[in-house]
Amino acid sequence: MPVLEINNIHKSYGKIKALNGVSFSVPEGSVFGILGPNGSGKTTLLSIILDVLQADAGSYLWFGEPPSNEQRKRIGSLLETPNLYHYLSAVQNLRVTKSISGRGSIEAIEAVLEKVKLYERRNSRFSTYSLGMKQRLAIAAALLGSPTVLVLDEPTNGLDPVGIAEIRELIKTLAKDGHTIIMASHLLDEVEKVCDHVAILKKGELIASGTVEQVLSDEDCFLISASDSDALYELMSDYPGLIRKKQTPEGLELYFSKAEIAPANINEFCFQKGIVLDQLTIKKKRLEEKFFELTGGLHQ
Amino acid sequence: MFKNILHTEWLKVKNYRAFWLLLSVTAISYPGINTIFYLSYDEVTNPKGTGARAKMAKLLLGNPFKYPEVLHTTAFLSSFFTFIPAIVIIMLITNEYMFKTHRQNIIDGWKKSSFIWGKFISVVLVTLIVTFFYVIVAFSLGNMVSDTAAKEKMFEQVNYIPLFALQVFAQLSIAFFMGLIIRKAFIAYGIYIFYSFIAENILGGFLKWKSKTYGFDYGQFLPFEMSDRLIPIPGFLGKFNEVDYKLSLAAVDKHIVYTLILTTIVWLFSFYIFKRKDL
Repeated sequence: MPVLEINNIHKSYGKIKALNGVSFSVPEGSVFGILGPNGSGKTTLLSIILDVLQADAGSYLWFGEPPSNEQRKRIGSLLETPNLYHYLSAVQNLRVTKSISGRGSIEAIEAVLEKVKLYERRNSRFSTYSLGMKQRLAIAAALLGSPTVLVLDEPTNGLDPVGIAEIRELIKTLAKDGHTIIMASHLLDEVEKVCDHVAILKKGELIASGTVEQVLSDEDCFLISASDSDALYELMSDYPGLIRKKQTPEGLELYFSKAEIAPANINEFCFQKGIVLDQLTIKKKRLEEKFFELTGGLHQ
Repeated sequence: MFKNILHTEWLKVKNYRAFWLLLSVTAISYPGINTIFYLSYDEVTNPKGTGARAKMAKLLLGNPFKYPEVLHTTAFLSSFFTFIPAIVIIMLITNEYMFKTHRQNIIDGWKKSSFIWGKFISVVLVTLIVTFFYVIVAFSLGNMVSDTAAKEKMFEQVNYIPLFALQVFAQLSIAFFMGLIIRKAFIAYGIYIFYSFIAENILGGFLKWKSKTYGFDYGQFLPFEMSDRLIPIPGFLGKFNEVDYKLSLAAVDKHIVYTLILTTIVWLFSFYIFKRKDL
């Protein structure tokens, strides 16, 4: 059973369509990245599944059931910015979180503050914290009582490189312990490093979703070159199963449906036609490339 | 459920200095205004040497700080300072918007109605606290000023205690509603103070003056006027216009009903709006 199922969610702000029929589901135990450029509807989507915004149409199920406040108590969430009482200390803020959610204990508050490295400053007021410390306290609030599901909206916002690496490690550890993590980010690198599933949003539309493997490589790409590149280009035009090809400075890029062609086939084909390849590599697409390709940025 | 809401609201204000500071200011303002009026009264009615004038004044004014009138007089004078707890209430709700904790409370597992219940409970508690301040001031002054004969009438006008509490609760509820709608602290304070002190008084005065033309005083339905009239001008000031004074005393019961209706509507609206609006 998926932890979260989103069905055809629509949301408009006046004339602007923030979400336009988004559907996907989050499998249990996954680290699910919601990826999209600024203004693509990530936060709106998370706000809807956390009941602070109301969808115009569509529905969602948490743990296979219609949403309720009791379910939200089992979900640790950080939405957009650290939403905490400025005049309260870290400990006092987490007591409010504990009181509302019923998660955690006095000992758990201390433990979670140690985990995000705020224990030393636990009695200082939130208003005296740096941006990174505020973000870490918000993460601590989400982690309190070790909820089975975590919803983290841009969790590394405002953190320095060490902080980012720490949060990344933390997410990996949590995933290993069986937590389901739903994470929105515009940082591809971050999603690529920690997520196993991804959904890509663009202007409120879902343009791809699935495992990172699936989304990344629905096509195989081979890079080949030979001394006579023009002849190679001509030759490959007839190759069966080829979706498209592209001449680049590094060589000729060939795109095929996933797992249809083995590199040996190409090598053999060229050799038989009298062209000796001096390069044949499988090119793994990086998420960034895919992201730009899908969202129509930079390359188009 | 209510125990949890009460506990959470307590955690929010327990270490909030501005909250306690403003309540302290209220605690000082009540004895302050009442003492000032008492001393002025004492000065007018008790000047040494001019016995005749003092006696006249005493005869005319009675002693508003003796039992049983003291409960009425102090309720009336203290009610001028309801704007201080009103600022407290506006602060409590606009803070949540400013820190976006109104969202976080929901995200963490409260129903939207629980959030409004939290503020309802806060308004009730602040009402009880300031009513307690008023009761202390009323009985302290009463005991200080009254002779034995007056002390026997100590509890004759205790009805002003629930009337004061109802008035404060009604006006704090309006303050809360303004904060809920306006969202920005300083704009809400400004509108509250401008409306309750200036705009409504001008409008109320105008409608009262026009009541002869209209044949009806529509001013009694203005939101603050409805509950202001729960505590009419005290007897000693009322002596200047006996007819009006009697009318205003007779209208109190009617205003209890109006106030209860308006306050219920204010809270039902608050629940409705918060539930329907995007946070």
